[in-house]
Amino acid sequence: MKKTKKNYTEYYFDYSLLFIVLFLVGFGLMMIYSVSSYEAYTNYGNEAFFLIKQLRSVIIGLIGMAVVTFVPYHWYEKLYGWGYLISCALLALVPFIGIESHGVKRWLPLPGGFQFQPAEIAKIAVILFCATMICKMGKGARKLGGNAILMIASAVMALMVYFCTSNLSSAIIVLGIGVVMIFIENRNYSVFVIFAVLAVVAVVAFVMYMKNVGMDDGLSWRFERIVAWLDPEAHAQGKGFQTVQALYAIGSGGIWGKGLGQSMQKLGFIPEAQNDMIFSVICEELGLFGGILIIVLFLILLWRMVIIAINAQDLFGSQLVIGVTAQIAIQVILNIAVVTNTIPNTGISLPFISYGGTSVIFLLLEIGVVMSVARNIKLVE
Amino acid sequence: MKKEEKKKDVKKIQKHMKEKLVVSFAVILLAFAGLALRLVKITTEDGTRYTKQVLSQQEYDSTTLPFRRGDIVDAQGTKLAVSEKVYNLVIDSKVIMSEVQGKTPYYEPTMTALGKYFELDMNAIREYVQSHTSSAYYVPLKQLTYDQISGFKAEMDANDKIKGIWFEEEYKRVYPMGSLAADVIGFTGKDNTGTYGLEEYYNDVLNGTTGREFGYLNDDSALERTIKPAVDGYTIHTTIDANIQSIIEKYLLQFNEEHKNAVRTGNGAENVGCIIMEVDTGNILGMASYPTFDLNNPRDKSALLGNVLVDEVGNKVKPTTYITESVLETLEGDHLYQNYNYLWKNFCIADTYEPGSVAKAFTVAAALETGSITGNEVYTCNGSLHIGGHDISCHNTYGDGAVTVEDSIAWSCNVALMEIAQATGKANFSKFQQIFNFGLKTNIDSAGEARTAGLLFDASMGDADLATNSFGQNFNTTMIQMITGFCSLINGGNYYEPHLVDKITTSSGATVENIEPRILRQTVSESTSEKIVQYCNAVVMRENDRRITGRTARPAGYAIGGKTGTAETLPRGNDEYVVSFMGYAPADDPQIAIYVVVDRANAEDQDDAKFATGIVRNVLTEVLPYLNIFMTEELSETEQQELADREQEITNMYAPTPAPEEVTGEVSPESATASPAP
Repeated sequence: MKKTKKNYTEYYFDYSLLFIVLFLVGFGLMMIYSVSSYEAYTNYGNEAFFLIKQLRSVIIGLIGMAVVTFVPYHWYEKLYGWGYLISCALLALVPFIGIESHGVKRWLPLPGGFQFQPAEIAKIAVILFCATMICKMGKGARKLGGNAILMIASAVMALMVYFCTSNLSSAIIVLGIGVVMIFIENRNYSVFVIFAVLAVVAVVAFVMYMKNVGMDDGLSWRFERIVAWLDPEAHAQGKGFQTVQALYAIGSGGIWGKGLGQSMQKLGFIPEAQNDMIFSVICEELGLFGGILIIVLFLILLWRMVIIAINAQDLFGSQLVIGVTAQIAIQVILNIAVVTNTIPNTGISLPFISYGGTSVIFLLLEIGVVMSVARNIKLVE
Repeated sequence: MKKEEKKKDVKKIQKHMKEKLVVSFAVILLAFAGLALRLVKITTEDGTRYTKQVLSQQEYDSTTLPFRRGDIVDAQGTKLAVSEKVYNLVIDSKVIMSEVQGKTPYYEPTMTALGKYFELDMNAIREYVQSHTSSAYYVPLKQLTYDQISGFKAEMDANDKIKGIWFEEEYKRVYPMGSLAADVIGFTGKDNTGTYGLEEYYNDVLNGTTGREFGYLNDDSALERTIKPAVDGYTIHTTIDANIQSIIEKYLLQFNEEHKNAVRTGNGAENVGCIIMEVDTGNILGMASYPTFDLNNPRDKSALLGNVLVDEVGNKVKPTTYITESVLETLEGDHLYQNYNYLWKNFCIADTYEPGSVAKAFTVAAALETGSITGNEVYTCNGSLHIGGHDISCHNTYGDGAVTVEDSIAWSCNVALMEIAQATGKANFSKFQQIFNFGLKTNIDSAGEARTAGLLFDASMGDADLATNSFGQNFNTTMIQMITGFCSLINGGNYYEPHLVDKITTSSGATVENIEPRILRQTVSESTSEKIVQYCNAVVMRENDRRITGRTARPAGYAIGGKTGTAETLPRGNDEYVVSFMGYAPADDPQIAIYVVVDRANAEDQDDAKFATGIVRNVLTEVLPYLNIFMTEELSETEQQELADREQEITNMYAPTPAPEEVTGEVSPESATASPAP
């Protein structure tokens, strides 16, 4: 942060944050075109089919972001209860009037043939609810009761997401946002460390158990994915297909990649390459270099947001930024972990880059909120 | 950093929260670092493997273009083996059932056209296409000729509603002459891998390089195709002359027809083989054996009928059994395959046997060459000779009396030969067996040649071994070893490498390689060679001598030379014999050599060289005029009549039932040659 010697109040505007976001979104559009043009041409006769749809969402998102940047974020404080309830209501509507795609109902229709994912709203609703509650409860938020309220609010929303849209990944993110916000708000470390250790032990035990389970033992499809995760190449023609194809893409890219547009794996091999698996094609075309560069960009983005949270004008602003930071961090980590087969395959999109209109619009809106918080940081003399 | 707070009551982020934010960021940093490491690990550890996987997955986007395997043609350019382009009908249900505005406009026109031009069960095809809408590759008909598909292709070009049908090209190996030279040529299946004969030996020459049609995406993401054409295989030109070959095979077949089922149910002999070779080049003009098989249908079980039965590992069943209908039914799996192998192999190069008295010419040549005898010696034959504690008898047990060296060959006297071999000595004798290449491969350019070095003695042989070796018993050779060595005995001593192919050309006719005659070594001197020719001429041509053994081999009007052979097989005393005649024509200037072996004739008395000389006579009677070798001898009236009849027969070759030719000739005095060896 610069100091200024001028004697009037100057407000802060985080340009580096804006540029990184713009870069990621632009880069995402370029990669979506590169990845999807083959499938778009063969399936829709228009190689820019996915690009145009995404571009429309990005424009809406950018306009929304610009507007939100200049909206005082305290206005949202009053909406936390309604936001939470409306989000729950929207989720509850999905099983009844939801639109089905790829065998699952996750979308709600909008007028004019548009559609959106209520799970994305749920993430914002949880951030807003937790941020507001932490401010309202003050010291009480750090007591057991306060923690319980925050935890229950996040968990209920996560369960709603899971059961109404059968979207485990979004449920994990919703819950994750809540946990991170509670963790940061508390003084305590030991309880969280104990929980983290217990969770790790449980996961390890579960994995050991799963290693002895075969694909034919009548498992549900989520468990089959875990079996496939443990040895993807053994199930390369079945559950492991997407993962193995993504690994092939990463491995064949080498250090500098095959060059932009030169991916072979996007030619119908990686299913949904422009969605959750886009990072594997980035690695194939731009190599290890490109992949790590994207990781570094996300890291800088998150660092900027941490700085904003620390310096925010008030606690509510800090908490909003913390929530958004948590969401982006969780999504990036889980997405790359899935693509590299570090965790079992579950559908999580890469923020700003993956194809998906609702996701990019809401992420841009959230960045708008972050910039709004940043704008209110006063640079003083 | 400092911040100005306007209102004291505004809650700000607390210190512990800042600390925890930084801790959280550190955790995120660690997670990112871990993921980056994971990326590095995937790229460095599995990069190469995954790159290959990615490339191998692309294969569906390219198609292979088959090459055309080269032809095999005879010395006159007659095609013995060719590859014909054939077409497989491929049905792409996915395309046929593709929908345009909710309808399937291609289905009905395509089905109608298919039914019109091909003999297909259209109900089954329709059902298949409708129930397998994602199938892109279904082949209901294979190996159609161009004529069979041209009608459909024309209609398909004219009607753009016919879709989803294409023709996959491949080549089919066809042998226009059927079974002709089956042993020499061998056969090739669908995989372009030759089995036996030239097809196997010249497999790599005959095969070309597979072409490829690549599909790739250009800068506009459109699929482009580029073709790397297939390179067709080379054509090989054999030294075999289809006319000579068919004359040989005609008489081998005739022999079989005359002798089959005579005293046992089965072929006329276990094996009959015949080789005709150019004396001064090593070129093989004809090479055949009976039983034989149809190259276009090598797995025809009926061709096994009458053959010797072999067991699951390819050894002859003891006691010797002949394949009858009932045995044939029991053959299957490996057992059947071994019996096919026994049929497919080339008897002339793959079977080893004791050559018998034809080896006497070699024994005498070795003796002359080492100076052990001069050719002027006279031996006395009393019917047997006592050697190494055994009485080894002559075929003429009453004794031949005084025997000159020429007589010993002309009469095939064992006693004289044993004495000649004794004079030569074991060391020289075995050295000359090596010089004559007995037991070793001749390196003829055909697959499956046998090596019999382990069945020969060296200088440490016993006296009785030397004695029996002198007349061709107790060591094994192949037909090709014998005739190649014999050519060197009569051509002045030049041992030519025998070969079947003299030229390799590209499919368009440009010469790739000329295979010139190759002299491997000098076996004997000119003078020895002249003497051997003189002795061998006596075998057939000596007048007013009833004791010569080869008179029945002489074709009418020609003077030829040669040597008969009658070898007793193991175990001795079972009255089973391999009889043979090895000769050449013309007598004064040998141009071609011929060798006929009859392995265990289907006859009461197998030890009659006439089985072999009869075939030689028949074959030469037709082959010599064909080779423009003129008659030198006067024809008797019976011979004139015989030639006239034969001419008539050849003219009527395609007449319904040509009368079988009767073998004529004088009776040979030779009855039994070899006696049991020690």
